Amino acid sequence: MATIATARETLFALRRQIARIQGTAAERLEVVPADPPPEEGTVLREGGVALRQGLHAAGLLATGADAFDTALGGGLPRAALTEIHGAEMRNAGAVAGFALGLAALTLSDGLPFLWIATADTHREAGTPHAPGLWFRFGIAPERMLFCETARLDDALWVADEAARLSCVGLVILELRGTARRLDLTATRRLHFRARDAGRPVLLIRHSTLAEATAAPVRLLVSPAAAGLRSTVSGPLVGSIGPPAFCVDLDKSRTGASGRFELEWNAHDRTFRHRRPEDPVALVPLSPDRERLAASARPDLASHAGGRAAAAGGQPAREERPADRRPRRAG
Amino acid sequence: MVSRRERSAQRIAALDEQAEALGLKRGMGIADARAMHPSLEVVEADPAAEERLLDGLADWCDRYTPLVALDGSDGLHLDVTGCAHLFGGERAMLDDLLKRLREQGFSARAAIASTAGAAWAAARFARGVILEAGAEAAFLRDLPLPALRLDSSVCAGLESVGLRTVGAILEAPRAPLARRFGRLPLTRLDQALGHAEEALSPRLPVATLSVERALAEPVQRMEDIEELVLMLATTARASLEARGEGAKAIELALFRVDGAVSRVGVGASRPMRDPRLIQRLFRERLAVTTIDAGFGFDLVRLNMRESARFEARQGDLTGNGRAADEEDLALFADRICARLGRAAISRPMLRESHLPERAVSLVPFADAPPPDGRGGPVPRKGTTGLPGLVPAASAAQASRTDGREQPIRLLRRPEPVEASAEVPDGPPFSFRWRRTLYRVARAEGPERIAPEWWHASPEARTRDYFRVEDTAGRRFWLCREGLYDGTPAVPRWFMHGLFA
Repeated sequence: MATIATARETLFALRRQIARIQGTAAERLEVVPADPPPEEGTVLREGGVALRQGLHAAGLLATGADAFDTALGGGLPRAALTEIHGAEMRNAGAVAGFALGLAALTLSDGLPFLWIATADTHREAGTPHAPGLWFRFGIAPERMLFCETARLDDALWVADEAARLSCVGLVILELRGTARRLDLTATRRLHFRARDAGRPVLLIRHSTLAEATAAPVRLLVSPAAAGLRSTVSGPLVGSIGPPAFCVDLDKSRTGASGRFELEWNAHDRTFRHRRPEDPVALVPLSPDRERLAASARPDLASHAGGRAAAAGGQPAREERPADRRPRRAG
Repeated sequence: MVSRRERSAQRIAALDEQAEALGLKRGMGIADARAMHPSLEVVEADPAAEERLLDGLADWCDRYTPLVALDGSDGLHLDVTGCAHLFGGERAMLDDLLKRLREQGFSARAAIASTAGAAWAAARFARGVILEAGAEAAFLRDLPLPALRLDSSVCAGLESVGLRTVGAILEAPRAPLARRFGRLPLTRLDQALGHAEEALSPRLPVATLSVERALAEPVQRMEDIEELVLMLATTARASLEARGEGAKAIELALFRVDGAVSRVGVGASRPMRDPRLIQRLFRERLAVTTIDAGFGFDLVRLNMRESARFEARQGDLTGNGRAADEEDLALFADRICARLGRAAISRPMLRESHLPERAVSLVPFADAPPPDGRGGPVPRKGTTGLPGLVPAASAAQASRTDGREQPIRLLRRPEPVEASAEVPDGPPFSFRWRRTLYRVARAEGPERIAPEWWHASPEARTRDYFRVEDTAGRRFWLCREGLYDGTPAVPRWFMHGLFA
């Protein structure tokens, strides 16, 4: 076993050297762990990507959304480092929500999960709120462990130590901005430790660009408009239903990429694709289109359930003095 | 020479032998002294620095006995009961103490007696005396009155009636003395003679168990210190086992050759006695503590500050016991605490409150009760948790039936936003948070949360919470504090949380 490991290390170093000479990114050099022998079941191919059935037990974590799982080659690797990126700090709710959805999928065996974050992340995006985690993701408060560190180096140290523990069901490391210390070596250490311990380590990065890391999968998560709340008499107009996420597959083993709209189903504890018949626009408005939409207010109002149409974009008359008062004071 | 301001005049507070030889005395005006000897070097007294120095000395004296008490601003009491034999007898101990202090540049006086009062007098009015028990009266008889630790006013009063020595008071009738000068002189006399108890209050709490090792050659390297910790912990293990206890808080005291004492402590979330684990905790702690080793440490001591009943637990036969997992987790948490502080790793505990910021409290891992009743150690009485906390499971049960949607992230402090609403009581139409304008696409609410009148201040206002989704799909928890009910205070809007 040891010789295989050292041989693999050597191979890794050589490949990295070749990559440096060729000037290509080293991030695709992830050594794929030896695949289990193909079982007798049929191999489905969708869009040129083989979809293996029955890999759930063999180290893949199926999210429940078929097309997304297919693009990932069957699901997220269970024993690996997975990167989840958020473009902006204000998206922290959606990004953390998606990661918690994955956590809820993973944590089936009663083990605790550890959420490590630096203090500035908590200051900017808020601290995890246990009742919300329980309500939406079904993670019991007694299984939560939160670790807050003042410095990035400490957070990395804790994550390194936690990644090798088998008594923790999942490790989330949440960081903000660029982290020079989190380079290829550091992420590879995290990845290997996660692999040895046999459970995922989720690395959440806020407001930073993608860098070369050893994580086999990188997802860019942004918020998406939620569906409507379903009631006995159909969807409730103007309500905010289960959370939805817009997930860009940035890097994966299969090499596939794409954008997926997923919705978290708290009842079944799975993700599902947003259906076209869902009553809210599937693709969220991009930031520059948002400004246009704001000027064309009636359009927006119509899909918001006709709420704001009458106001004509102006606050009601009787509210104005109240609205101005704090401004004058400030 | 050290000067001190007394009643708006600079006076001599302390002086060295040379100055004494010139005929100067304590309490003399600096101006007078300067007139007599213009070349005097005068330094302003710094009581804070003196106190620090005395504290440092007391720390250093810890090497002789754990019971060191401060005595005023210029003395130390050491309770050496049962310690003298470790240094080869009382005389050897006293000599060793004086020699080491002299080597550090202090001129000190010390004495050993069976009562604190007698020792005080012997140290100040004699040199290097060791009084046997019962010899106090004979020794004190010839000493002047200040030897009884009396104020100058009381002394002056006694002297004015002709009682000039301790012996005179000893022979005088007690009742008239007490009537005229109060109980103090007699109490002091009884304390010095051992007729009355006198309690010394040690500076540091006395450890339940401590193990130490004096080193012939000082050590400097941290690796050596870690090895010493392992060795001391191995020694302590037998005693802990004999008591059936495990240590919960351990302190390592390092006595440097030049007298400085460094103390580092670690805590454990469950009682422990395995030397390897203790060593690991100290390794983490020492990795982040900067200790100036200087010329090395010549005495290393391990104090068990707090101990609790150690419960040996048996894993189940299948070998995949939860107990082992929990133990791993506890050790991991202890290592984090040793390195990053006690509050670094925490568990949420639900409280019965509707106010979101009060509904959860983060309890340090070591203080949190174990996740389920079995497995963890039985908590001692009174330490089951903070008052008002309910066990997480039952509170979770309660919140499940509650059915209120809660955000997954809560801002530490609600951040004020500028919001505009269509109708005053309605949800916001747009709001500005952190200098960015958000348009609200949909909103749900309000969810009204009234202040907790039973412990909130009367100014606390009712809040209306709204779940809003902006045009980009971000979901926020906004709240309006205050109502439009005709009161002069204008309601304000806050951002309080983020939804998934």
